[in-house]
Amino acid sequence: MRVHYYPGCTLKEKATNLEDSTREAMARLDTDLVEPEGWTCCGAEYPLITEKIHGLIPPVRILRQVEIEEGSKVVTTCAFCFAVLKRANKAMLDNPTLHTRVNEYLADDILIDPTTKEKRTHFESYNGDVQVLHLLEYLRDEVGLGHLKSLVKRDLSHIKVAPYYGCRLLRPQKEVAIDDPETPTIFEDFLNAIGCTVVDFPFKQECCGSYLSASMPETSNEPSYRVLNSAKMNGANVVALSCPLCYYNMDTRQDRIKEEYLEFNGFPVLYFTQLLAWALGADVETLGLDKHLCDPRPLFDIKQNAEDVEVNL
Amino acid sequence: MRVKLKIGENEKKFINRVNELTGDNVYRCYQCGRCSASCPMAQEMDLLPNQIIRKVQMGQEEDIIGSKTLTLCASCFACQGRCPKGIDIAAVCEAIRHLLEPKGKDFWGPDDVQPELAKELPQQVLVAVYKKFAK
Repeated sequence: MRVHYYPGCTLKEKATNLEDSTREAMARLDTDLVEPEGWTCCGAEYPLITEKIHGLIPPVRILRQVEIEEGSKVVTTCAFCFAVLKRANKAMLDNPTLHTRVNEYLADDILIDPTTKEKRTHFESYNGDVQVLHLLEYLRDEVGLGHLKSLVKRDLSHIKVAPYYGCRLLRPQKEVAIDDPETPTIFEDFLNAIGCTVVDFPFKQECCGSYLSASMPETSNEPSYRVLNSAKMNGANVVALSCPLCYYNMDTRQDRIKEEYLEFNGFPVLYFTQLLAWALGADVETLGLDKHLCDPRPLFDIKQNAEDVEVNL
Repeated sequence: MRVKLKIGENEKKFINRVNELTGDNVYRCYQCGRCSASCPMAQEMDLLPNQIIRKVQMGQEEDIIGSKTLTLCASCFACQGRCPKGIDIAAVCEAIRHLLEPKGKDFWGPDDVQPELAKELPQQVLVAVYKKFAK
């Protein structure tokens, strides 16, 4: 199967473990991921006020490119990219004023056709016809969790995973939600399908501090610590997530969390695609596990070591 | 003690502008406080999310200008999701920041990134934070 895939800027540099494990897992599901030609950053944040129309240009341009390449769907793994693309797409469908203004702006684009090498200057209006899917939705709706379960090659039942949704996959409900914003189950269903032991915890849809770790670094330790500590207190031995920013706050910044909370001694954080690729039989080298600040590799040992792993945590 | 409050022309202009930018009506808020109870950054704020909305309802722009809350909102939409009226407070904060920009208020600039952080921050963080807080 062939499907359009929008990686986003972070996956190509700082979150290569998310990108590599996604590609490895999708290859094992016989899915060919195609990146839209000439894609750019999606803008990371959707403009919330009516006058900031320029924030809609990059995501709509990406979606239009998918349509030009005759794609009907685009899959993302980064939660921020997903939210921006999905909200921009919905604005094109539901808001006639934005539809007209964005399309008028994009009408001046020039594109070099990759096959004929000729300049292309005339574009049809983009009407929001491309379906934006998060990889979790793609696995549930297109691959099917029952089918996914039948392809699992490794036993992951010793890994107790706390699924962390964060903000961008669930809110605002009317525009992006991949599931119910207060009692979501899509992540749990996915983890059950690949054979992990799922741990429910109350902070699964709380914010991790988001980009405040850049503008006010001292304030983002507490929300991240609350999520990690809640997962740990509820008996998990790893947190799984899908957003490179949550990963940065909860894994890369763990040394700073330790400085503020002396009782905290580290907790492993994984991308859900790393668990997926591992369950489907990928080699451990393809998962990028050496990039993590809190080393999750003991979790990937064979089953008889599982009890030792729990003691070490 | 009774206090008479007066909303003059300037205040009305501010309230209308916020409503116009957010496409919502701040008077729909009846101050139940669920937004503040849901906010993950409330512990750092000097004005809680429901207080911000109250100040906008009263047109008290001057009280909001210096508030830390405007730069502590990370747009996680927990408040909007739990608001019985569905008011988007992240959008209200963004509208206020937008209105303060022409008055010379700059919440964030390229020089504000700590050099040691610049090396490790994921690209999306820098893009998001500039987009949110820079002029």
